[in-house]
Amino acid sequence: MNENIDVTQLLPILAPIFLIQLVLMVFALVLCLKAERTRGPKWMWALIIIFVNLAGPIAFFLFGRRNDG
Amino acid sequence: MSVPLLEVNGLSKTFGSVQAVGGIDFLICEGRCVALLGPNGAGKTTTIRIIAGLLKQSAGTVGFVDGDHVGTGGNRAMIGYLPQAPSFYNWMTGLEYVVYAGRLCGLPRSHAVSRAKELLERVGLNAAAKRRIGSYSGGMKQRLGLAQALVHRPKLLVLDEPVSALDPIGRREVLELLQELKRETTVLFSTHVLPDAEELCDDVIIINKGAIALQGNIAEIRSRYRQPVIELELERDEPSLKWADAFAERHRSGTNVSSQTAGLIYDVSRQGASVRFSVTEVDAAREQLLGELAAEKVRVSRLQVGYTSLEDLFMKVVSL
Amino acid sequence: MTSGAARYFAMAQKELLELVRSFKLLWVPLVFVLLGIMQPVSMYYMPLILEKAGNMPVGSVIEIPMPLGAEVLAQTLQQFGTLGLLVLVLAGMGTVSAERNSGAAALILVKPVSSFSYIASKWTSLLLLAWGSLTAGYLSSWYYTSLLIGEVDASRVLGSLLVYGLWLSFALALTLLFSTLLRSPAAAAFSALGASAALSLLAGVFPKQAGWLPGSLSGFAYQIASSGSAGSDRFGWSLACTAAAIAGSLLLAGQSLKRSASVD
Repeated sequence: MNENIDVTQLLPILAPIFLIQLVLMVFALVLCLKAERTRGPKWMWALIIIFVNLAGPIAFFLFGRRNDG
Repeated sequence: MSVPLLEVNGLSKTFGSVQAVGGIDFLICEGRCVALLGPNGAGKTTTIRIIAGLLKQSAGTVGFVDGDHVGTGGNRAMIGYLPQAPSFYNWMTGLEYVVYAGRLCGLPRSHAVSRAKELLERVGLNAAAKRRIGSYSGGMKQRLGLAQALVHRPKLLVLDEPVSALDPIGRREVLELLQELKRETTVLFSTHVLPDAEELCDDVIIINKGAIALQGNIAEIRSRYRQPVIELELERDEPSLKWADAFAERHRSGTNVSSQTAGLIYDVSRQGASVRFSVTEVDAAREQLLGELAAEKVRVSRLQVGYTSLEDLFMKVVSL
Repeated sequence: MTSGAARYFAMAQKELLELVRSFKLLWVPLVFVLLGIMQPVSMYYMPLILEKAGNMPVGSVIEIPMPLGAEVLAQTLQQFGTLGLLVLVLAGMGTVSAERNSGAAALILVKPVSSFSYIASKWTSLLLLAWGSLTAGYLSSWYYTSLLIGEVDASRVLGSLLVYGLWLSFALALTLLFSTLLRSPAAAAFSALGASAALSLLAGVFPKQAGWLPGSLSGFAYQIASSGSAGSDRFGWSLACTAAAIAGSLLLAGQSLKRSASVD
C-alpha cells in the first residue's frame, strides 16, 4: 500500500461521506428551525444537530418533531 | 308519518364492575334531530360510541330498521361519526383528508374529490381546503370533522358533544352549520348543555346514571311538564326571610295553618331572597299567598307568575 | 378491483404520502447509504489510520492484510443489523400506537374498513422503507468495495440482500405487532429490539438446535455474502419459519386491533 496517500486521491472517496453528513445536518437544521413546536427547546436541538455527528440529526428526525395532536 | 331508522334495545355496557349504561331503549325516526342530553358521566359518550361501532355493548342491540326488519350490529357504512375532539393527520390538507375519508368509504377517487370539494364548500372551509390541518382552529377542525363524516351520505350522523370543546365563536359556527345539516339528514348528538339541545333538536332523550330519565318530542315535553310557578322576591330583612323559612317548614311537615294552601302549593324552595312556589292553580294560590303576606307583614319587592322552564325539568330529572 | 382492495390501496397510498411528508423516505435511506459507504472506506484506510494514530517507531512496517471484498460486504450487513435496525425500529415504533393515542385511528377505523387492511397498509410502508434503505445502502457499499477493495459476485450480493431483507422485514413485523399491542412507542421499540436480539443470540449460541428460527437469517446472510452459500440445511426451514412468523404477527396485530378498536 502506498505510504504517502495523496490528498487529491483521498478527496473524491471521502467527499460523498462528508456530503451526506452535511445534507442530513442541514436538512435537520432547516426542519428544526421551521418547526412550530419541537420536543424540548429548539436551541438545544440545533446544538445537538450541529455538534453530534450523524446521531444528532437522526435523533432529531426520530424524537425531536411533534407531528401528532 | 315518521319512519323509524335506528332502534336501540336494552342497550347496556359495563366496564369492569361499573355500569356505564344500564339497559336503555329508544327509537330514532328518519329526518329527526335527536339530542342525547345528560350530565357528565351519564353514559352519553358510551352510548354514542356503541352506536358508532367503536365499542361493543355488554347486552342489547343496535340496529337499522329496514322495512319491518331490524338489522343487528352497527352498520358502519350507514353512519357518519364525529367524536368530541376529532384528531386528523396534521400533515394532510383538509381536502386530502376528506378525499381520503371518501375513498375509505368506497367512493372511487374522482367521485371522492368532487364530493370532498362540495362538502368543504358546504362547511365553509373552501379557502382553507389546501392548508395543512395542523394549522386549523378548533372550530375549523370540527367543521372538517362534519365534512368527513358526511362524505358517504350516511343515513345517520352521530356526533359526540359537537360544540362543547369549542370557544364561543367556534360554537356559533358549528351550531349554525348543524342547524342547516339537520334539514338534510337524521342527526343524533350528545350534549350536557340544555340550550344547545333546545336550539337544535326535535326530540330529546334525557339520560342520567346510565338510564333514560325522559324522552320524547321536545315541544311536547315542554308543554306537558309546564307547571305554573309563583316567584316572590323578598327584601333581605330578617322577619321576611324568617317567614319564608317558616312557610317552607310548615309546608314540609304538612302543618300549614291556612289549610287551603296545602292543596294549592305542592313545592316551596328558597334561594337567597327569592322563594319559588310550584302551584296547581295560579289564581287561587296567588290570592292565598297575598293574604298571608299582608297578614304577616312580609316585605315583598316583586311577585311574578310564570311557568317552569325545561331547565327546571332537566335539573329535576337528573337530580333524582 | 374489489372494494376491499381499493380501500387497502387508498390506505397504502396515504402511508406512502406520510413517508414522504415526514421525510422518512429521504433520511433513512441516506443513513443506510452512509453506513454502507463507511465500511469499505474505513477498511481501506485502516492501515493509514493506525499509522497516523499510533506512535510507531520510524521505519516499522505495518502488516495488515487487506480483507476480501466479500468480507467487507458481510461486515456492512452487520452494521445494518445494529445501527440500521435500530433506526428502522425507532422510525416504525409509533406506526399504530401514535395514531391510536392521538385518536386519529378511531376516526379511520369507524369507517367501513377492516383492521387487517389497516395493518397491511402500515406493513406496506414499513417494507418499502426497509427494502429501499437496505438496497440503497448495500448497493453503495458494493460499489465502494469493488472500487477500493475488490470485486464481489453480483449473485452473492443479491442473495445476501434478499435474505437480509427478509430478516429486517421480520423485525419490522414484530415492531408493528408490538406497536399495536402496546400503547407506548418506546415499549414497542424496546420489545421488538429485545425479541430480535434474543432470537439472533439464540441462533448464534445454538446453531444446531435454533438454526431454523428467524434469528439465524442474519447469520445466513453474512455467510452468503462472504462464502457464496448459506452452508446449512436449516436455511430453508429458517426462511419458511420467518415467513410464517411474519404472517402470524400481522394477523395477530389485525385481530388485536379489531378487538380493541373500542379502547382507542
